[in-house]
Amino acid sequence: YRAAIETEKRICGLVATDSCTRWLDAHYDPVANLYTFSSCIGNGDSLVVGDLGTGACNIKLKVYKGTSLVSENTLLDLPTGLVSFHMDQHEPRTPAIAVASGPFIYVYKNLRPYFKFTLPPLEVNPLEQEVWTQAKEVRRERYGPHLHTSCSRRFSFPLGRFLMLDPQEMETYVNLHKQQPLRRQTVITCISTLKKNMAEEDAVSCLVIGAESKDIYVLDPEAFTVLSKMSLPSVPTLIDVTGQFDVEFRITVACRNGNIYILRRDSPKPKYCIELTSHPVGLVRIGKNVVVGCAQETLLSYTQKGKKLWTVYLPAPVMTMGLMDHHTRGFQAVLVGLSNCQVQLYRDKNLLNIVKTPDVVTSICFGRFGREDGSLIMTTKGGGLIVKILKRTAVFDDRDTAPGPPLAQSIRLNVPKKTKLYVDQTMRERENAVAMHRAFQMDLSRLRLASARAYVKALESSLTPMSASLSEPLKMNAVVQGLGPSFKLTLNVQNTAACRPVMNLAVSFLYDEALYSMRPSFFKIPLLVPGLNYPIDAFVECLVDKGISDIIKVFVLQQGKSAPLLTAHINMPVSEGLPLN
Amino acid sequence: MAVTMDPLFLAWSYFRRRKFQQCSDVCSKILQDSPYDQAAWSLKTRALTETVYIDEVDVDQEGIAEIMLDESAIAQVARPGTSLRIPGTSQGGGPSPAVRPVTQSGRPITGFVRPSTQSGRPGTMEQAIRTPRTAHTARPVSSSSGRFVRLGTASMLTNPDGPFINLSRLNLAKYAQKPNLSKTLFEYIFHHENDIKNVSTQFISKTHALDLAAMATEHAQFKDWWWKVQLGKCYYRLGLYREAEKQFRSALNHQEVVDTYLYLAKVYQRLDQPITALTLFKQGLDHFPGEVTLLTGIARIHEEMNNVTSATEYYKDVLKQDNTHVEAIACIGSNHFYGDQPEIALRFYRSRLLQMGVYNCQLYNNLGLCCFYAQQYDMTLSSFERALSLAASDEETADVWYNLGHVAVGIGDLTLAYQCFKLTLANNNDHAEAYNNLAVLELRRGRIEQAKAFLQTACSIAPHMYEPHFNMATLSEKVGDLQSSYMAAQKSEDAFPEHVDTQQILKNLRQHFAVL
Repeated sequence: YRAAIETEKRICGLVATDSCTRWLDAHYDPVANLYTFSSCIGNGDSLVVGDLGTGACNIKLKVYKGTSLVSENTLLDLPTGLVSFHMDQHEPRTPAIAVASGPFIYVYKNLRPYFKFTLPPLEVNPLEQEVWTQAKEVRRERYGPHLHTSCSRRFSFPLGRFLMLDPQEMETYVNLHKQQPLRRQTVITCISTLKKNMAEEDAVSCLVIGAESKDIYVLDPEAFTVLSKMSLPSVPTLIDVTGQFDVEFRITVACRNGNIYILRRDSPKPKYCIELTSHPVGLVRIGKNVVVGCAQETLLSYTQKGKKLWTVYLPAPVMTMGLMDHHTRGFQAVLVGLSNCQVQLYRDKNLLNIVKTPDVVTSICFGRFGREDGSLIMTTKGGGLIVKILKRTAVFDDRDTAPGPPLAQSIRLNVPKKTKLYVDQTMRERENAVAMHRAFQMDLSRLRLASARAYVKALESSLTPMSASLSEPLKMNAVVQGLGPSFKLTLNVQNTAACRPVMNLAVSFLYDEALYSMRPSFFKIPLLVPGLNYPIDAFVECLVDKGISDIIKVFVLQQGKSAPLLTAHINMPVSEGLPLN
Repeated sequence: MAVTMDPLFLAWSYFRRRKFQQCSDVCSKILQDSPYDQAAWSLKTRALTETVYIDEVDVDQEGIAEIMLDESAIAQVARPGTSLRIPGTSQGGGPSPAVRPVTQSGRPITGFVRPSTQSGRPGTMEQAIRTPRTAHTARPVSSSSGRFVRLGTASMLTNPDGPFINLSRLNLAKYAQKPNLSKTLFEYIFHHENDIKNVSTQFISKTHALDLAAMATEHAQFKDWWWKVQLGKCYYRLGLYREAEKQFRSALNHQEVVDTYLYLAKVYQRLDQPITALTLFKQGLDHFPGEVTLLTGIARIHEEMNNVTSATEYYKDVLKQDNTHVEAIACIGSNHFYGDQPEIALRFYRSRLLQMGVYNCQLYNNLGLCCFYAQQYDMTLSSFERALSLAASDEETADVWYNLGHVAVGIGDLTLAYQCFKLTLANNNDHAEAYNNLAVLELRRGRIEQAKAFLQTACSIAPHMYEPHFNMATLSEKVGDLQSSYMAAQKSEDAFPEHVDTQQILKNLRQHFAVL
């Protein structure tokens, strides 16, 4: 019996080395209708997703248990972040869900709304205050220029809107909002958690919030008061927190200006700054190092003090990133979702595994899902939900899978050999070089003459579809559409001058009146602005049913000139249809 | 007094000398005297048929209606190599668009213009109804019946006093009993009775033909292969391809005929089953080894599926059987030309086609190009000169000037090149390649606005060409308009995904967009 188990293990071990079989496909629903990002997804016993919906509607907080949707709560605005955290010491230890949306944090407990927290309003500029009080009294004056010069930041509600209005609308607007005091509200851009004073898995955590006002707030989990406030030089977009609030912590923030700032306890300003060469797309911390995915298709790693460790060039742009932290095995790696439908797994700079997905992955979450510790949950661009389970026997070896010399090196190019005929002809060329050269030169002179004659003839009769005159550089081409007997003739006229418009132009047509009739056979063209294409439509009616066609000549004329500027000959297609009698 | 010839014999003689008009006139006289003269009636029918007869096997063009309103399309995305609709790009070592120009549908252009090779299958209705006039990429006719209607009207013009046979008063059942009359009558109805005035009569005439054929088959106790083939032809014209297939198959069981194989292969091509058509051709070759038409059919299918190497192999087989097959020579020649062996192409064009007496603009044009690229400079320009003098239409003249422009670029005379490309456009306003090349010349002169306008025109005339898009991308990148450059580069990538320079531009732009 024991022997049997042994062999079975060995077989499993063999299978696990194959990269495809490290993951079990637990669930794939391509039409789960989940549109979200990594910041709005959380797992545990169940999967909680802040669904962004279609942008305007269907914004929901969805909870999955196993493969089925167990609860849906409508959200008022788009969620920007979602975290689960323990807010008190009560037993049983059930985590709460905090959803950041606009300036609010909605806290849910046991799938029910529990508490709503609003970010403290920002202080209003005294100048703005003064203008608003004046506006309430005087109304009709224009304050804009005065205020714009002295106050370069965003305006408070309702003053900002007021300044954009027309003077006649100002009065009604002021009357409507007269009673409201001026307030300036910011919105949350990212959210994370920070353990308060204990490192346990289920210890009480503070919420750490990044706001549009370039501030970082740390909130007390029980009283929801601001414990600490730090300011940044730019707007934070991605946030990662480690440590304990009462002991020592580090907050790593990627900002909209392309820099990463590292904040520490007891300093209201950033301690270190990492300047990236392109925008950060994903931020993951592994141990003491930070791994950043950049818009330039690179994956960069930095130490906590901002020292660069390594760069990996990726095959496609990064869509999202996630941390793969397998506690029971002590395995930590970075999951990178790419736009070529792959999810790559990196430990340090080594590519360990590639998971191919049926669609582009937009959010990744690894961890416990239900009873399974090693679950990889992904949602796709098309709204699909993928759940994969890491096999218990799977082993990731640190082999550097970077490929060697490119395969193209060994492919022979199919260059045709020079034939004997070619050699013979070259011999002939060598022997009769002088005669050939003379013949060619003579022909060339004749060709130059012939082409110059034809060119002059074409220019004199303006046969070319682009005008040769320097004062009215025009270009025209025509497209015929339709099956007949009605055709639509579209003339695309364009003024190719650098900056001068062309005026006083007209179009006329020359055609066999027995065959065709044109409704406007002469009309004027509006002023032509340089560089724009003017499509001009004319309708042609074919009058005969004998299956013959003719040429229609189009002339672009200028007032006061007898010769046309341009001419186009249009070979009409044969009319396939029959005229209605 | 001279002895007059027996009028019927005279008519017969006219018929054999292919003087069909006189033949039918004499027959009419005989019929005036004796209206029930079956011999004269039959002969007149044949004469009238011959005047408008076209070879069904070769002349076939898919119309817009057949392409766009195809109900039998099952798999929109067929597996590569099984469909004519999606030209497989890389299989069979097809040449890249950088080396060999492509048609609207992304197929490399062939050496021989014939219906259905050049038209391709347009992707959108817009593309389909537009009239592109770039080097014989003729627009597909609105429907194939429309084409036959037009061919039929020629006969109506010559017959001012109305049709010879009034179909509606014909007792088809009676004629079906008489095998000697029924065959000529059928051909007359099938080929001659087309009425443009009323589309429905077109349909009715086919139905008449079908009825006649059906009755005659029945009379022959379903054993006459000829009638079965005719039934199949009727079904094919009516668009009932599966029924046509049945009839042709059954006809093949009775009698192996090359024509039947060709018709059946046509049905399969129309059903978009090129592999089946190929197997059928090969079966046909087992019975008729070395049959030229079958070999040509195979070569054409390979060519349409972008498998130029196999196509050339079969064209070579054709040449082994028939040394003077123009299509095969032309295709092999153009293949050698684009395969960087212009000297061999030159030999094919000169010592085969020219000596066979093909004497036209296209041939001299090709000769000139081959001479230039094979470094036989003394004959280059004289060939082009002759091509210019032989050009029958503006399009042909335009193509010759375009090639002369290339020669001028090759010898570095850019003024001459400029003139040549402008002359191309004077002769053919929709020559996208010329627009593109002019744009490049303008760009070299530093006239960016002009260059941009020309490139825009080239892009709109020929969206299937990658060159104008790529040039647009380069130009826009140079002037700093990165967004337009990116968009143009993406279009270029769509037209030619493997183009390295486009990829390079895209890579640069992406990097540019990503960098802070």
